Amino acid sequence: MGFNVGIDIGGTFTDLCSVGTDGRIVTCKTPTTHYDLSVGFMRGVRDLARRSGLSLPRYLEQVEALRYSTTVGTNALIERSGPKLGLITTAGFEDTIFIGRGRSWADGASVHEVRDMATIEKPAPLIDPDMVVGVRERMDCHGSVVMPLTREEILEKLQTLVDRGAMGFVVSLLWSFVNPEHERLIKQVIEEEYPEDYLGAMPVTLSSEVSPKAGEYTRTMTAVVNAYIHGIMAQELSRLGTELRAASFTKPVILVHNTGGTKKVSRTRAVLTHNAGPVAGMHGAARLGSLSGFRDIVFTDMGGTSFDIGVVAGGELRAQDFIPVIDRWRTNIPAIEVKSIGAGGGSIAWVNRLMDGQLEVGPQSAGSMPGPACYDQGGAEPTVTDADLVLGYLNPDNYLGGDMPLDAEASERVIEEKVAKPLGIPVQEAAWRIRRLVDARMGQEVFNEVALKGHDPRTFVVFACGGAGATHACGFAPYIGARTVVIPAVSSVSGAFGASSMEISQVWEQSRTIKLFRYDRQEYLADLGAFNGVVETLRGQALRDLRLEGFGPERVRLRLDLDMRYGSQYNLTKVTAPSLHLTGRADVEALCAAFTGLYSRVYSPEAAFPAGGINVECFYLTASVIAEPPPLTSAAAGPPDPAKALSGSRPACFDPAEGPRATAVYDWTRLKPGHSLSGPALIEAPDTTYVVEPGWTYRMDELRNGILTRTDA
Amino acid sequence: MSIKYGRDTEVVHRLRPEPVTAREQAAQAAVADLDFEIFQHKMQMIALEGKETTMKLGASTAMRWGDVAFGVYTAQGDLAICATGIYHHAVLSQLPVKYLVKHLKDDPSVGVRNGDSFFYNDPFYGGVHNADMGLCVPVIVDGELVCFIGAAVHTGEAGGSEPGGMVNGAKSRYDEGLLVPPIKVGENFTLKEDLLAMLATMTRDPRTMILDLKARLAAARIAERRVRDLIADKGVAFFVGALRKVLTVTGAAARRKVAALNDGVYRQPRFLDTVGPESQLLKINLAVEKKGERITLVLDGSSPLLPDRPLNTYFQGIIGLAMVYFCGWLFHDLPANNGLLEAIDWRFPEDSFVNAKGDVPVSYAPATQVAFTQGMFMAGARMTYATDPSRAVGAWYTGFAVTVFAGLNQWGEPMADITPEINATGAGGRPGRDGVDCAGAFFATMSDCGDVESTESDRPFLYLFRNFFDNSYGHGKHRGGSGVGFGLKVHGVPWVVLGGMGFGSHFPATLGIFGGRAAPPAFVQTVHGSNAGTLLRDADPRLPNSMGALYGRGTPEEGQRGYGNLAAPPSPFSEGDTYYVPVTGGAGYGDPLQRDPAAVVRDLRAGRCTVQAARDVYRVVVDPHTLHLDEAATEAARTQARQDRLRRAKPYAAFEREWERQSPPAAILRYYGAFPDPAAPATGQDRAA
Repeated sequence: MGFNVGIDIGGTFTDLCSVGTDGRIVTCKTPTTHYDLSVGFMRGVRDLARRSGLSLPRYLEQVEALRYSTTVGTNALIERSGPKLGLITTAGFEDTIFIGRGRSWADGASVHEVRDMATIEKPAPLIDPDMVVGVRERMDCHGSVVMPLTREEILEKLQTLVDRGAMGFVVSLLWSFVNPEHERLIKQVIEEEYPEDYLGAMPVTLSSEVSPKAGEYTRTMTAVVNAYIHGIMAQELSRLGTELRAASFTKPVILVHNTGGTKKVSRTRAVLTHNAGPVAGMHGAARLGSLSGFRDIVFTDMGGTSFDIGVVAGGELRAQDFIPVIDRWRTNIPAIEVKSIGAGGGSIAWVNRLMDGQLEVGPQSAGSMPGPACYDQGGAEPTVTDADLVLGYLNPDNYLGGDMPLDAEASERVIEEKVAKPLGIPVQEAAWRIRRLVDARMGQEVFNEVALKGHDPRTFVVFACGGAGATHACGFAPYIGARTVVIPAVSSVSGAFGASSMEISQVWEQSRTIKLFRYDRQEYLADLGAFNGVVETLRGQALRDLRLEGFGPERVRLRLDLDMRYGSQYNLTKVTAPSLHLTGRADVEALCAAFTGLYSRVYSPEAAFPAGGINVECFYLTASVIAEPPPLTSAAAGPPDPAKALSGSRPACFDPAEGPRATAVYDWTRLKPGHSLSGPALIEAPDTTYVVEPGWTYRMDELRNGILTRTDA
Repeated sequence: MSIKYGRDTEVVHRLRPEPVTAREQAAQAAVADLDFEIFQHKMQMIALEGKETTMKLGASTAMRWGDVAFGVYTAQGDLAICATGIYHHAVLSQLPVKYLVKHLKDDPSVGVRNGDSFFYNDPFYGGVHNADMGLCVPVIVDGELVCFIGAAVHTGEAGGSEPGGMVNGAKSRYDEGLLVPPIKVGENFTLKEDLLAMLATMTRDPRTMILDLKARLAAARIAERRVRDLIADKGVAFFVGALRKVLTVTGAAARRKVAALNDGVYRQPRFLDTVGPESQLLKINLAVEKKGERITLVLDGSSPLLPDRPLNTYFQGIIGLAMVYFCGWLFHDLPANNGLLEAIDWRFPEDSFVNAKGDVPVSYAPATQVAFTQGMFMAGARMTYATDPSRAVGAWYTGFAVTVFAGLNQWGEPMADITPEINATGAGGRPGRDGVDCAGAFFATMSDCGDVESTESDRPFLYLFRNFFDNSYGHGKHRGGSGVGFGLKVHGVPWVVLGGMGFGSHFPATLGIFGGRAAPPAFVQTVHGSNAGTLLRDADPRLPNSMGALYGRGTPEEGQRGYGNLAAPPSPFSEGDTYYVPVTGGAGYGDPLQRDPAAVVRDLRAGRCTVQAARDVYRVVVDPHTLHLDEAATEAARTQARQDRLRRAKPYAAFEREWERQSPPAAILRYYGAFPDPAAPATGQDRAA
């Protein structure tokens, strides 16, 4: 017997999921211990062992892999608790990270924040201006040395930073992704001056190694963020490793990456761990979807303050036209996009008197503290959860398995005072409007996310996760045009479940301009050496790295994606190359055709413009270790009648014109695979409440996932 | 008035929403509140998708860096839904659509059908200049024209007698390149190749022209699909009614907001120091009259029409730029659409360069317009201070220190455009805080200045530096945000054409508020036959790495050095020649003597302020080596400065008498009109003479 364990640390809870080689799933949640994340981590692992009927050492001995998505790095950024770093850049460009392409005030800010131009603000920098030095050197766009770099120059500038108290160095020079010679020279000098075996040794991060991509601002910030969180993460993970070893776990901890793969701690760059939890959730959805034949999936996670959206097309997680913003910093990592909007159970409803008494929900949120009025923690504003309670969807005595009693009167009171009275409508109608409005917003945002990636959202299956996902899925799915919604049995620990089966994988990337079809000559590329050379370099890096992880080339799967564009377009379209290498004119034409085909499909044939020239701008080689996750335990579907799971009935409102109607309530723990029922109905699970609206049916599948199907349109 | 050929002077006055039709009235009354709220969010999503798609696919500098407006217009042409940071398009981009509705919709030789696409760039309708180009498509459902969808974006090359869209030397509008009123460029969902070839041939950068045009179209087509889905779901009547209701609600909200401001007249004359090819003085005489629910913009007393210089602007362009201030700063919590103009009136003099007529050139209109908008900031600060001081902010830099280039790039490809540092200006100082350093462009709030590497990848330049320019902002209790300076070396091509567009080389363009200082004037340095290449190869440590160092420490660079105005007609530069441009910062807010000395020291340490400015402007005393603050000496210096001020003070009447005797030299008043009041009748006694 072995176990694959996934652990996902979130802002409020640390989620854990253990999948046995027998396919059995065990999950648990434990409060996140922000003062020391390993405390909550170990407490959760102990709980998993207990639920699996084993002692901790015995359980850990049987754990085959422990995959972990952590927020340590993100927290360090938000709290600005990283080390004092020195940045060495090209002289004349010392202000690049403060200029931030001008609009860095908008990166990571909400739509509402960026609209009010009178109050914009750039974030406090991770590196102070006096900790940035420029070295006299210069490469041009071809990587040719225009100004040589001398050792004396490096030493002088280095001393300046050391004198000012640098605890580590980031080196980011112009065009270093084309020619890293100068960056490497700086690293060599630093290592000679401050050798590793001396106490004064300081880590050096090269932008050309962390992010060999075009665009000096994002490349530099990627390196800066990586260096800023590296030490803190290393400490935290070291402490965790020590505790796990003390508890008899002898294997390396594996970290979940936001690129959709995993790597050992020792082979992981810190910046790739940011926001990995939702990406793991997407992977879990993809895996569950594949078991049901769903390949086009939109993963959603609705919690208290935010609503996350991720697109899985064709069964795969892919990075696509996405500049990830980490905290407030634009970076250039090949992360999978997870869009987060300010909508959740804590979103506050209010009446916009300026706009003729229009009802609004958000962007303000009551969060988890004070939370909705019904939490009775001092919340005085009407929230989405209050509306759900007033509508009868939530059971005040059995919310989250009865762990949190809700004050229904408080919900009614605030909705009455803040929404119903100003609008001159009954409380129940006000609650219904709040819910409809937030559902519409979420659904419309999902629609846009899928559409912007070039897909038809109406053909996608929605996976609804998070504490409020099951409660609102029937509400927001129609705005996507989706007819099928899956509520995974593990919906409240979706990230941990996904992490438990993520394969070893990494993306190797390199910016390089290759003109496949030249505009000035109107002819295809003839010399294929540069293209194939980049691919070979990346392939060599990938295979070498995985060999160090213990995997030979026969176990490695490679996929080449390319950022491509017409002529001087700025934005890029990601295309999967039909083949790794180009062997002749036919391959070049095929690649150009693949780009134009995708472009035409996404943006319309009228938009294509091959005569304008076709460039490759960046190469991404994804190297994955082929591994089949163990099958999940499923129970054969039984008869559809769920009568034995019926736990009662309560009034719930699905149409304010009709008012509340008696609605069947089911106990999720007593439902069995094969059971099906029609809306309206409510299903109370220990971690969420399903709202099956009229016009929808529910069926529990063999893995205890809920399948909601729209029948009314 | 209906006009078959030439310009329709009636349609350009239709900036406010068209009268509600009976169809719209009935439809809007039937729209339920909740449905309307959901509709608005959906339409915003559609517009955002359109905007992002346009940006993704476009190629010109403005498109690449986000200078895009995308919207949905009613069947009458009003722009109800708009996603943009260039808010002037929120009221201006409707005019070509209204022209189309008036002249072409029912014309049997043109007509409007599904699958059509219309292109336009005539600034008479677009309101700004030729480089602002638009495209729209109609949406017809069950035989009813329900809306138009379109995108307006600045394409950096319009085929004028100078590259880059703004023609310093234009003597009439026929020197300024493409002038296209709405024409049908596509039918049956297919662009017409003959027309594309014509448009491409008439500009220096045909590839960018076509990529930009296709980007607008592709985005419009995607939005069209979304709108059709929405109509299929909710019905035509709902869509027509809800779209109209957006305008209705916005107009009412704008009036409510205006009503909350104090009544008054807020005057802010503005001056320009160029008419394009030569330095001349011009006046925009702005008065903002606020009464009840309305704000009236009065420009009486502005300089006369410029018969042969391109600083003229159509009046609608001024209204458009007023919307930049309104949408971004005053009405930031309202939808951006032309319903906002329900709270705005205007009055323009007949014979004035702010109300262009006939064939006068207008390609430099953006300069005049941004100068006006800075006046809106300044008048607006006084108008809002008592009721909502958070709106009372200093003006941003104009952005008009624009470098234009044309020729072949290092890949042998034709190009003509502007550099992205137009989007690297500093913001104005604000109550309680400094302006943001290098915040972007106030007239294109979603744009950014990109990476040096992106520019160098397909433009034949090597940046020598791009850093903050210390002291480039207005000093104040809360200083303006810093601007940047950059130096370019022509690299990898035998030659390229370089020039400049802008104003504010002779006196500051960006003035302070509430006692804050102006941002300094800016000028361009050029070096032909430069030895910069050799200095780079030798890694000469004396090479400056910022604009401050260039002018502070000096430079070992040799060659034929020139200093020029920001406005400079393009001329050839050979490989190795250099070009240095400052893009300065925002206005200062409040008296510099009230600035927290610790903030001055912080700026000194960060290189955003010089020791001289600390000493002479802020009267902050620091150790020049350690930069440690001497608090006592600072307090003494400030006390002394205040006493000096009192000594210099004089009664207002005495000041006025002295002031009235002053006059600029006659040589720069050629286009000004009568001095000091340009609109005064000529007296025959030219005081300046």
